[in-house]
Amino acid sequence: MICDECGRPATIRFVETVNGEMRVMQLCGECAGARGIGLSFAPLAGPIVNLLMGFLEEAGADEPVEAQGSACSECGLSYAEFRRTGKLGCAVCYTSFEKELRPLIRRINGSSRHTGKIPSKAPEDAESIREVRRLKLDLDRAVRGEEYERAAELRDQIRSLESAQCGGGDDGDV
Amino acid sequence: METFEQMLATPPSWLDASGPISNVVLSTRVRLARNLEGVPFPMRAGSSDLERVRDRALAAASAGNYLANALVLIVDEKAQSRRQILVERHLTGREFLGAGPGRAVIIGDGELVSAVINEEDHLRLACIKSGLMPMDAWRLVERLDTELEQNLHYAYSSDWGYLTSCPTNVGTGMRVSVLMHLVGLVRSNRIAQVLGSISKLGLSVRGFYGEKSAALGGFFQVSNQMTLGQSEDDIAYTVERVAGQLVSLELEARSELTKKGGHRIEDEVHRAYGILTSARIISSDEMMALCSSLRFGITEGFIDSVNLATANGLLVSTQPGHLKHFDGRDPGPDRRDRIRADLIRRELASGSRA
Repeated sequence: MICDECGRPATIRFVETVNGEMRVMQLCGECAGARGIGLSFAPLAGPIVNLLMGFLEEAGADEPVEAQGSACSECGLSYAEFRRTGKLGCAVCYTSFEKELRPLIRRINGSSRHTGKIPSKAPEDAESIREVRRLKLDLDRAVRGEEYERAAELRDQIRSLESAQCGGGDDGDV
Repeated sequence: METFEQMLATPPSWLDASGPISNVVLSTRVRLARNLEGVPFPMRAGSSDLERVRDRALAAASAGNYLANALVLIVDEKAQSRRQILVERHLTGREFLGAGPGRAVIIGDGELVSAVINEEDHLRLACIKSGLMPMDAWRLVERLDTELEQNLHYAYSSDWGYLTSCPTNVGTGMRVSVLMHLVGLVRSNRIAQVLGSISKLGLSVRGFYGEKSAALGGFFQVSNQMTLGQSEDDIAYTVERVAGQLVSLELEARSELTKKGGHRIEDEVHRAYGILTSARIISSDEMMALCSSLRFGITEGFIDSVNLATANGLLVSTQPGHLKHFDGRDPGPDRRDRIRADLIRRELASGSRA
């Protein structure tokens, strides 16, 4: 094995994938060092979608067989196709494949409940979600100010709004 | 409104080294993924759906302030070389190269904000700023988003947040990427250890133009992996904080390197400068390595005849799509390396400090 760079004996075989094309380089220690190769490039995991594909593969073993054959009621995407591409077909896919997606998304994010921006044209319950967030901020302030009566009131209001939102079910992510 | 050719005459403003910590951080990009309610995601949408989405998005953009006078590129089959350029300027992703009709890109002044229509999602809004600026970039792209949603109905669920084609973007649809030059950590062999600890913090690391740019030049892209369960402010803050820690480690490594072997580094960066200003054939790999040395030499004060913005600009203007455009035809690999060397000499001559 001869170094691709300088022609001296090569000691390192370096495989890289650029845009899905695999290239193999043979390098001597010095040329590899000059290129920063020889480091562990494990953290350079590539696109984040690779992470998803990894999780999908792992999850595959536990998935019920019927999941593999199911399809989205709106766009017709099959679950098998999603597993192959990692891409969903439409917004309704999130409901159609909810059972399979929820654990997957929780593994990636550590949570499966959105706490970010709410669009101005959000569904009806968006206003009550905004309200809960406002109340939670008030609650924080009340606790810090040691206004315990007010805090208790706020907590009750939050609970009743939240149980109305998710029908009593909870994500464990309050 | 600029034309595409006018846009190409200068490097994108995010490479101008005007932002904070430009000696280590080239730029910060924040993008938001959005889809329209009731239309299949681009991958499963028919051509009439794609055109409908495109026209609605273009109308919404022209009704607002942020992209009202922006450059609109309708990307059709003929525009293959333009697509390559868009990828090289970080305006679109690679998958845009092979996409069919129904696509468009809207590019604001100085390429600060942009919107890509019908890539992986119906809309990808982005803001790229010079230096380490996650919070500022997020605030700006958020204003663009708020403006557009006055006229667009986004696919959203109160539970999942913004619904995206790939479940790795669902929730905020937000990806913050910081482009860093970690040449000191690479040279002192501490990069693997440092990046390993980054991935444990829920951040991902990639090379700037593929993995080679990382290995050859120490150019890395650090970004958030999680998009759901945290607010956008929290995501921006986390990336800012972790990138800030990387900056301290990098500066430490650089100062140790120059303390231990300053004269060697001085020699090496001047050799790199010598090659860049004299050579007649320069491959893209060599360019990446030399440009890294040149940047290192400038930030450590060994080279004062070139400014950082010029060195940064070379990273984009010497990419194959740009060279092909400047040459007016496909030069082929051999001629491309010659054109690259010519362009570098020209840029370094005109970008020298007076």
